Parts: sequence; C-alpha cells; structure tokens
Amino acid sequence: MALVTDAVEVRYGARCAVHATSLTLGPSGFIALVGPNGAGKSSLLKALAGLASHTGTITWQGRALAALAARDRARAIAYLAQASTVHWPLSARDVVTLGRLAHGRYGVAPTAGDREAVEWALAQTATMGFAERSVAALSIGERARVLLARALAVRAPVLLVDEPIAMLDPYHQLEIMGVLARYARGATGGAPALVVAVLHDLTLAARFCGRVLLMNDGRVVEDGTPAAALSAENVRRYYHVEPFVTQHEGEPVIVPWRSPGVDAAQAQS
Amino acid sequence: MSAVVGAGRQWRLCTVLGLLVLAAAVISLLLGRSSGGPTLGFGGPEIGDVILREIRLPRTLLALLVGGTLGLCGAALQGLLRNPLAEPGLLGASSGAALGAVLVFYFGLAGGESLLLPLGAVAGSLLSLALLYALAGKTSDILTVVLAGIAINAFTAALTSLVLNFAPSPYAALEILFWMLGSLADRSLVHVWLALPLMIPGWLLVIAAARGLDALTLGEETAASLGFNPGRTQWLVVTGTALAVGGAVAVTGVVGFVGLVVPHLLRPWVGHHPSRLLLPSFLGGALLATLADSAIRLMPPGPELKLGVVTALLGAPFFLRLVISSRNAAAN
Repeated sequence: MALVTDAVEVRYGARCAVHATSLTLGPSGFIALVGPNGAGKSSLLKALAGLASHTGTITWQGRALAALAARDRARAIAYLAQASTVHWPLSARDVVTLGRLAHGRYGVAPTAGDREAVEWALAQTATMGFAERSVAALSIGERARVLLARALAVRAPVLLVDEPIAMLDPYHQLEIMGVLARYARGATGGAPALVVAVLHDLTLAARFCGRVLLMNDGRVVEDGTPAAALSAENVRRYYHVEPFVTQHEGEPVIVPWRSPGVDAAQAQS
Repeated sequence: MSAVVGAGRQWRLCTVLGLLVLAAAVISLLLGRSSGGPTLGFGGPEIGDVILREIRLPRTLLALLVGGTLGLCGAALQGLLRNPLAEPGLLGASSGAALGAVLVFYFGLAGGESLLLPLGAVAGSLLSLALLYALAGKTSDILTVVLAGIAINAFTAALTSLVLNFAPSPYAALEILFWMLGSLADRSLVHVWLALPLMIPGWLLVIAAARGLDALTLGEETAASLGFNPGRTQWLVVTGTALAVGGAVAVTGVVGFVGLVVPHLLRPWVGHHPSRLLLPSFLGGALLATLADSAIRLMPPGPELKLGVVTALLGAPFFLRLVISSRNAAAN
C-alpha cells in the first residue's frame, strides 16, 4: 500500500540523472528529499510522478504506475513542478480549480465536490484574500502559494512537491510546511497522505519531516530520521559546507555556516 | 465562485454573440450588390427566390462557416502554443491549400462550375499536414511543430510564386492573385457541401482538446500530471486546424486576421480561460466574417473588394495596437 520504486533509473541521453534506486515510500508521511544542486532530486520526483521516462518499475498500491490509466494516476499522484508558470492571467481561484481536471468532472460548471476542494485548498494556503485576482497581478510568493493550492486541490493520496517554499518569506515557509505536515497526517480533513517535498532548508526539513532522503550524484546516499540523515558529518560531506548544528526548544537547527573555500581534495570528490 | 461566474459569463457572452450572428446573417441575406452599387431586398418574387437560394444563402453560410472556423482554430492554436500571436495560417495548412488551388488555375482547369479548384485546395492542405507530420514527427516539442509549419509556409509560398512566374498569361496570373485574396462572391451551395466534410471533423477534433488546453495553462509537465497527454492535445489541435482551415481556404481563398483578432478580443471576457474561449471565438469569427462580407456589398460601385483585403485592413491596425499595448505593458 505504498509507493515503491524498484531499480528506477532516469537518463537524459548519455547522462544518468538517477542511478538504480529502490525505495519504499509511505503509505503516508512527510518525506524530505534533499541534496545539493544536480543531485537528481527533481528527476527522481518526476519519475515518481510518472512524468520522466525511466527504467525499473514504480508501483503504487501494488499496481505498476506505467500500467495505470493517465486519469487514475492523476487522481492518485498530485505533482507541483519547480517554479512552475501560469501561461494565461487566470484568476487565482480558476488556477486552483484546474487541479480538479484530474477528476475529469471539471467542465462548464464544477461540481459541489470540486468547489469544496477548491475552497479548502485556498483556505489551507491562505490565498482566499486574493482568490479573485489575476495570478499575473500577484507577487511571486503569492503565486507560489496559489500553485501549491492547485496541487492540494487534487486531494491525491500522494503529493509530490518540488521546492514548494523556495519563493516564500519566513512566515509563509513555516505556514506551508505546517500545511504539508498536516496533510500528510490527515489532519486537514482527509485520509493520511504521502507527501514528498524537495527542500533546501535543512532546518525546516529536519523539524517538519519524519524521514529524510539525502541524494548526491544521482543516488540516495542517506535514508532515515532527520537526525541521522542530516548529521553534521553528512552535511559537511555532501553539501561541502561547515554546518552550525544546535537545538532550540528541543528541535534541531541546522544552518550552513561556512563554505570551506577551494579545496582540491573536495573538488575532486 | 468566479469559476461558476466565469462559466455563466461565458454562456451570456455566447447568447449575445449568437444573437449578433443571427442579425448579421439576416443583414447579409438582405444585402445585395448590382452594377449600380448596394441593393436591399430580393427584387421581385420570381427572381427573389433564386437570388436568395443561389447567391445570398451560400455566401452567408460560407461567411458563417469560414469565419467560425478561423475564430475557433485561432483560439485553439493560441491555447496550444500559449501565445496570443498564433493564428490558423501558422501550420502551413492555408498556404498548402492556396498552392493546391493555384496549381489548378495554372493548368487552366478552374473554369466555370469546375470543382477542381476547391478539390485541389483540399489536397494541398492535406499534403501540407502530411508534410508537417513528416517533418515534426511524433515529437511533443511544440517549437519543432511551429518551425516545421514556418518551413512549409515558406516553401509553399515559394512554389506559389514560381507558379505565378510561369503563369501562361498576365490575365491568368491576375486571376490567381485575385483568388488568393479571399472572397465569398459567386459561391454556390456545392462549395458549402465541399467544405463541411472537412470542417466538421476539424471542429470536433479541436473541441475534444478543450480540457487539455486548460491543463496546458500550467505547462506541459503539470498537464501530464493532471492526466492530459500534451502530445495528444497537440495532435488534436494541429490535425483539427489543418482539416477545418484547409476546407475553409479551399472554398474562399486565404482570409487572414480573423483567427488572430477574434480570440484576442474575446479572451478577457471569458477570464482568459482557453476552453471557455473556443465557442465564443467561433461565434465571433462568424460575426466578423459576415459583417465584413456585408460591408463589401455596401461599398460604392466599382470592382468588388475582396474579403481577405477587408479583414486584413481591419486586422492590421488592430495588430499594431496589440504590439503597442504589449510594448507599453513591458515598459511599465
């Protein structure tokens, strides 16, 4: 009853973005996917969403993702692309309503269920206040929250989000991480869900997520609790930064503190 | 609930446009033109029936069908490419159809009641569609499709010029040029029956892509994650447009700007929603073409203006305004 990958490999031409990766994710929980730039996080997330061609198999609830009808997959797995754009200046509410396309009922008049899901998604992301405004007139952070609401509105048991908080101010970063954590727990009015988020903020990843996948060079090199996966040694080794690690109110704080400068030995590693 | 309000607004807009189209069609049926200039009514009970059935009705029907096709396909292409500058001629179907017709002229087969002219145009548009697929293959990369369309446009335009160059007489060349300007004069119901078998499947293919176009608003990846294969949406729109526009060009020649201007004017009225734009654009295109063709008959005596000339004269200033306003928006 989980999202399972078996020897999944993603290649772009000759370049291998994700090396054979076997993971069991879920059936529910909030999982952080972290790692330096170019580590293969987005490629793995796209493969999980069924959007990147890959070798190996991915199964959801025992059924191969490739064998699922596009519509069934769309209802099971919601995906928020990194820095995604909206090509027409629709109102924020119309953008969120596009998420209901996955349910195939959205047309001239959305159903009561569609409207309820849209209202719920707007409320969760605190975007109600500008729901009628054109997304072209919103700030980058506001638009990012509207797009997250679009993904939430699918109300899928699996939510894959690529850098959902990269554009947000600190207040909204905390808020949105809270929303994703509650959605995973089933505390927002639905069943518990599997949420996988690509993140760069290590403190927020460690505080809000129950499990951390650390990727480097196309491989998941660490998979475990935040404390184990995001140890000072791992941060040093894979991010090539000297971290400042402490605790505040019983929760971890991991701050990248200093880059070691040009170091021949590390540059080669 | 703007989603609901938007949908309600769409139906109000469609009702208003539908009534306007109806009024324009009545005007078009009533307006005539003789050597002395515009005439009103049908001129006597005996001949009136013939004038209505043989001359005005085909002309009005074709204006509605061709205008509607151009509006619908323009809206769909703009949605597919997510670009307000796209228009039905972009994919090469129009120029392919024009080349097919021009070849029929060249071989002197276009005289009288001959159906070879529209049939040649249909063959030309289908050939250019086949060429488009041969060039762009099954790629889902829209840029490749557009580049292939531009290449086909350039190539067929060159071949058309070549045919003009070798025209047997200046008179033949003039005839070809006039045909390419686009006109609804002297058409019969046969032309309607010829165009419809291409237009109707074309419309249906385009309309089947409506929800896929909405999904594409969020980009190809997100559309795919919502269960809409962008390649399939693209196939529906490209094939549907080539069929319907090929059919339109086959019977009227090339009528420009309707497919560009109409969707652009109506877009704000449907909240910029790609799928809600389709039906209003069909009606708006039918309205514009019928009014333009009626205006032609109101002109003072002299050689009749060509429809393509009138739509271009109306469309070009509009296009200019579009450029200026988007430049101002960029400056702000």
